[in-house]
Amino acid sequence: MSYEPIWSGIIACYLFLAGLGGGAFITSAFIRWRHPEAVRMRVYGHIIAPVTVIIGLVLLMFDATAGLHNPLRFALLLSNFGSVMTWGVVFLGLFVIVSVIVAVLDLLHKHIPVVLDIVGSVLGVCVAVYTGCLLGVCKTFPLWNNALLPILFLVSAVSTGMASVLVAAIIRHPEEFNRVGVLKKFHFCLPIIELVLIASLCFITYQDTSGAGAASVAKMIAGEYAPAFWVLLILVGLVLPTALETRMLFFSSREFEESRKAHWISFASDAGVLIGGFVLRLLILLAALPITMVVPWV
Amino acid sequence: MTRYGMLINTKKCIGCYACRTACQRQNGLLPDEAFIRFEEREQGTYPAVSVEHLPLQCMHCEDAPCVSVCPTGASHIGPDGIVTVDHGKCIGCLYCVAACPYQVRVRNSQTGGVDKCRFCNVSNYENGTKMSTCVTACPTGVRIFGDLDDPDCELVKEINRTHAEPIAGDVTKSKVYYVR
Repeated sequence: MSYEPIWSGIIACYLFLAGLGGGAFITSAFIRWRHPEAVRMRVYGHIIAPVTVIIGLVLLMFDATAGLHNPLRFALLLSNFGSVMTWGVVFLGLFVIVSVIVAVLDLLHKHIPVVLDIVGSVLGVCVAVYTGCLLGVCKTFPLWNNALLPILFLVSAVSTGMASVLVAAIIRHPEEFNRVGVLKKFHFCLPIIELVLIASLCFITYQDTSGAGAASVAKMIAGEYAPAFWVLLILVGLVLPTALETRMLFFSSREFEESRKAHWISFASDAGVLIGGFVLRLLILLAALPITMVVPWV
Repeated sequence: MTRYGMLINTKKCIGCYACRTACQRQNGLLPDEAFIRFEEREQGTYPAVSVEHLPLQCMHCEDAPCVSVCPTGASHIGPDGIVTVDHGKCIGCLYCVAACPYQVRVRNSQTGGVDKCRFCNVSNYENGTKMSTCVTACPTGVRIFGDLDDPDCELVKEINRTHAEPIAGDVTKSKVYYVR
């Protein structure tokens, strides 16, 4: 038989947006610490963080139809602390509260206590790691049930969060974009780390003794999802940003780097990161096969 | 302690789907909602070939992934070891559907909640309630329901005689045994 993935587009959007929101908050905290003059970028990050996470949560509520029909049941989400989803609700709830407070303070030009930045960033990491653990505890899916996935999702979350803030800066405040060199260098490293993590995930999952890991990896890199994997994730999402940013950061004159043309090259690179971030989650959801599918009864 | 389980002898199964239909009637399921899923496989080499019919349903695992992932406590293990969904608590997040390795949980298209085999045979087994269950409806006697902890019951004797095993080994400590 063929295995029908249970979660697909909507949940992939949710995993992507939750990670992006957490990453955007971390980006803002980093900008405040390392680039205090880039005020508008910091504000953008503080707005993007709660907005994307809330959109993701609304998508999730629409996907959970029985809860949508009986909204009071969502209160039960805090009843089983053995479930990763319950922990996710705690992290997401606290993150939304903290990030909304910070966004409001920032928009009102009030002072943001550093402790809120730290707490929000820690919660952002928790949210990003949770999106990986959510899948990771499903122990019959070798592609999910490993310790690399939460790390991969975390790196991707920070990468997409930074990309979203950089994209906003390129469009609205290019003068600030020119001044966040350290942020750009960190952002440059992340797709490279992701490449290593994805390669490791594929190699290790492929060795899973049940055969389901090999089948999942094959489905992703050589089967029906191969075009999306190689073109959208690896090429557009990881290699292209790395190549473009290598050019921009290490082989460009300062005049060119601050030109509008260079900004649009960076825009293409960041758009690629965002596409790759979404496709990564979608592929991980769609390609995973349970070990029971390859025991000798199918 | 009572530990309800079932034996499914696929060698007797003719693939008539009577069990699935009986289950839908007994449990008042929607037409598109079936707790029993059939897999079919051709086996052997010509000319000695046959088709294996394999009915799959909730295995009522002792180590149930659906229960451990359920965030609202809707999926739980009842006192007799029966994995149950509390329909008043389910939000339809489908975490259990994703976690179930046997792919036997279904979403009710009207309520959005998740459901699956309820081991309703227990009423028939305990006090002889007349029911149209998968066990009673089967024309070839594929299924036996009983208490796995009772060495004298027909279920345990038949499991021992046929060397029946859970479909995927001891992955989740399943309580549905298969002869194949």
